[in-house]
Parts: sequence; C-alpha cells; structure tokens
Amino acid sequence: MEFNLSTFIFEIINFLILIWILQRLFYKPLLEVIERRKQFIDQSLNDAKNLKQQAEEQCNRYENRQKLWEEEKQAALTALHRQLEAERRAHLDRLNADLEQERQKANVLLSKQRRELQQQVEKQALLNGAKFAGMLLQQSAGPELEARLFTLLMDNLVTLPEACKLCLTMFGTKKSVPVKITSAYPLSVEMRQQLEQKLGALINSQINFQYHQDQLLIAGLRMDIGAWVLNVNLQHELTGFAEIANEPE
Amino acid sequence: MENEFTFALGPVAIGTSVITTWGIMLVITLIAWLSTRHLDMLLPGKLQTTVEGIVAAIDEAVAAVAPEHGRQIMPFIASLWLFLIIANLVGLIPGLHSPTRDLSVTSALAILVFFSVHWFGIKTQGLKNYLHHYLSPSPILLPFHILSELTRTLALAIRLFGNMMSLEMAAMLVLLVAGFLAPIPILMLHIIEALVQAYIFGMLALIYLAGAIQSQQLNSQE
Repeated sequence: MEFNLSTFIFEIINFLILIWILQRLFYKPLLEVIERRKQFIDQSLNDAKNLKQQAEEQCNRYENRQKLWEEEKQAALTALHRQLEAERRAHLDRLNADLEQERQKANVLLSKQRRELQQQVEKQALLNGAKFAGMLLQQSAGPELEARLFTLLMDNLVTLPEACKLCLTMFGTKKSVPVKITSAYPLSVEMRQQLEQKLGALINSQINFQYHQDQLLIAGLRMDIGAWVLNVNLQHELTGFAEIANEPE
Repeated sequence: MENEFTFALGPVAIGTSVITTWGIMLVITLIAWLSTRHLDMLLPGKLQTTVEGIVAAIDEAVAAVAPEHGRQIMPFIASLWLFLIIANLVGLIPGLHSPTRDLSVTSALAILVFFSVHWFGIKTQGLKNYLHHYLSPSPILLPFHILSELTRTLALAIRLFGNMMSLEMAAMLVLLVAGFLAPIPILMLHIIEALVQAYIFGMLALIYLAGAIQSQQLNSQE
C-alpha cells in the first residue's frame, strides 16, 4: 500500500478532464435529447388531451343537437298527426254532409219518381175510366137518360149559385137574348115549355130559343146563352173527366 | 502491491494506474462520441437507447436523493459511477489491473469528493451559510464535524482500495490453490464486487454532496 503523489495528482487531473469530456460529449447532448423527447411527448399528450376534450365537447354538442332534433321531430310529428286528424275529420264531415245531401236528393228524386209514377198510374186509370165510362155510357144512353138529365137540369136551374143568377140577370139588359139549346135526342114540346118557362123566369128579356140535336153529347143538353154555357150532358162530363187526368199537378 | 512505473516525464513518474486510467478515459470518450454522434429524438438506435437508459437511470437516482440540485451534481456522480465500474472491471482483462486497487487513485477520487462537497455546498448556499452548518446544533460539535469530514473521506479511499486490492489478491490466491476449477466463480464474484463497490462509492459521494447542499435547509426546518 504505497501512496504516489504524481499518480494522485494525475488521477485528479484525469478525472476532472473525464468529467469535462463526458459533460460535453455525453451528458449534455443525451439529456437535451431526453428533455426534447419529453417535451415532445408532453406536447403530444397535451395535443391529444386537447383533441380528446374537443372531441368530447363536439360529441356533447352533437348529442344535444341530436336531442333537439329528436324533440323537434317529435313535435313536428305530433303537429302533423294533429293536422292530419283535423283534415281527416273535416274531410269526413264534408263526406258525411255530401252523403246526406245526396241521400236527400235521392229521397227527393225517389219521391218525385213515385209521385210521377202515381200520377201516371192515376192518369192512366182516369183515362181508362173515362174510356170505359164513355163506352159504357154510349151503350147505355137513351131517351130515359136524356129525360133524367133534363130533370137534373131543371133542378140545377133552381139551385143556381148567386153568381150565376146575377150573370143571367145581366142578360136582361139586352133586347133579345139568343139561347142555343143542343140535345142528344129531340126534346118534347112539354120539355121545351118547361125549359123556356124556367129560363124566362131567370132572364127578364125576350129570349130567342134555337134547338139543335147533336149525337156527340151522348145524352143530356147544352145551353149557350151568349158567352155563358151550361152543360148537362155526358159528353161534357166525360171530357171533364179526361181533363182532370190531363191536369198538371 | 507495488506501484509499477512504466516511464517518467522528467521528474514525474507515470505509473500503470495512470496509463490504465487514460485507457479507460479513451474507451469512455470513444463510447460517448460514438453513441452521441447521430442522436435521433424520435427513433433512437440500440446504442443510443442503451446510453440514454444508463444516463436516465443515473439522473433519476441523483434526483431522488437531491431533487432540487440534481442536475448540478449529476455529471460528477455519473462520471464517478461510470469510471469506477469500468475501472473495477478492467482487472478481469488478463494483463491489466484495476486502477482502484491503487491507493493513490482511490485517494484522488476521495479528495475530489471531499472538495466537491464543499464546492457545491458553498455554491448553492453561500460561504457563510455553508460554514454555519458546522456550528449547528452547537459550536461544540465543530471538531467532530471536521473529524467526520476527514474520516469519511479517508474511509472512502481506504474502503474502495482495500476491497479491490483484497479482491484481486484473494482471486490470485484461490487461483494458485485451486487451479482451473475456481476461475469462473471467482470471476463472477469479481464482477459483483466491482459493481457493488462502484455503487457504494458513488452513492456515498452522492449522499455527502446532497447532505452538504441540503444541510442549510435541514437546519432551517429544525
């Protein structure tokens, strides 16, 4: 165990030089690289953290926006359903009203058709009745029926309405009143006297009687006193019967 | 164990320890230059990854003991560790001897530690504050502080010198006695002992430096 001063001093110098060399060549560059890498990693971590934070914020924002969209969509759907329901109800009401109107129209048309049919049936029945009655009366007409209708005329002249009586009275202002009497069968003298006597009582003027015969009357008489005509014959009755059938409603 | 001298520069004799130290310095410098020639921040190579791992591990160890002034003392401590590891292991190479089996070498390293402690202590705290810690907790303890400084420096030098010298001597004796049966276990023991002694010397130096730097802070806390 020897101690050598020169070795001691050389070792001190050597070690100081070694420290200096290593500091320049080894520690400093390596620590700088490590530090730069650490800063780079820290920066990358910070960037990643910021990116993550931004991504989370965007995610939250988009989730909120999506939620709002969902709510808006739900509200729009609800409004649309309400509108559709309202339009459906309105359309249904219109359809029901149209249907009711069509139903009423159909009912009216059906009633009208029924009435027309009934009228046609009635008209046909009246025409048939008139035709049948005409045929029957033509076959059954004769002097007896003529006499019977003459009696009926006499009774009617007695029971004339006041208006008719007034009308006949007004003929009294004329000097001569022509009276045309048409019958289906010739009137007897007695029947003519009764008739002239009756009319003379009703008209206070001179009456000019003219007697005619017309087979078309079938039975009965027709009196033409000026413009006033009095029919008591079957032909007139049958014509009136037929006219009833032809009268409009 | 005599200090063998190879040549002399005038009155100054150059021993084998100095020459071996120069060789170690050359190797370390070469490795440092090769490993830091093309540093890549993002894609480091195998050599760069290895030396970065070594430097980062030393830096973390220093920072764990002296968190606030780690970067100041790290070059000194790291250089101690790297030099001692290689210097302790160089004895495994046939024909070479560890410089650390030389008391002059270990004394030089211990003296450097001694002065470094005061240098960093004064640098960080100032002369007055640094010297004040020798008077705490009581001025009576000043001689003991001074004695402690001297003895621990001496202990540093003697511990490393004694262990390495005894290790080589024991290995030589075992080899003489056991012949070819013992070399491998002895070599493994040599490796472990070399690493442990380097670690102990560096760690003690680190603790002494950290103690000197943080002594004023401890006094303030007390």
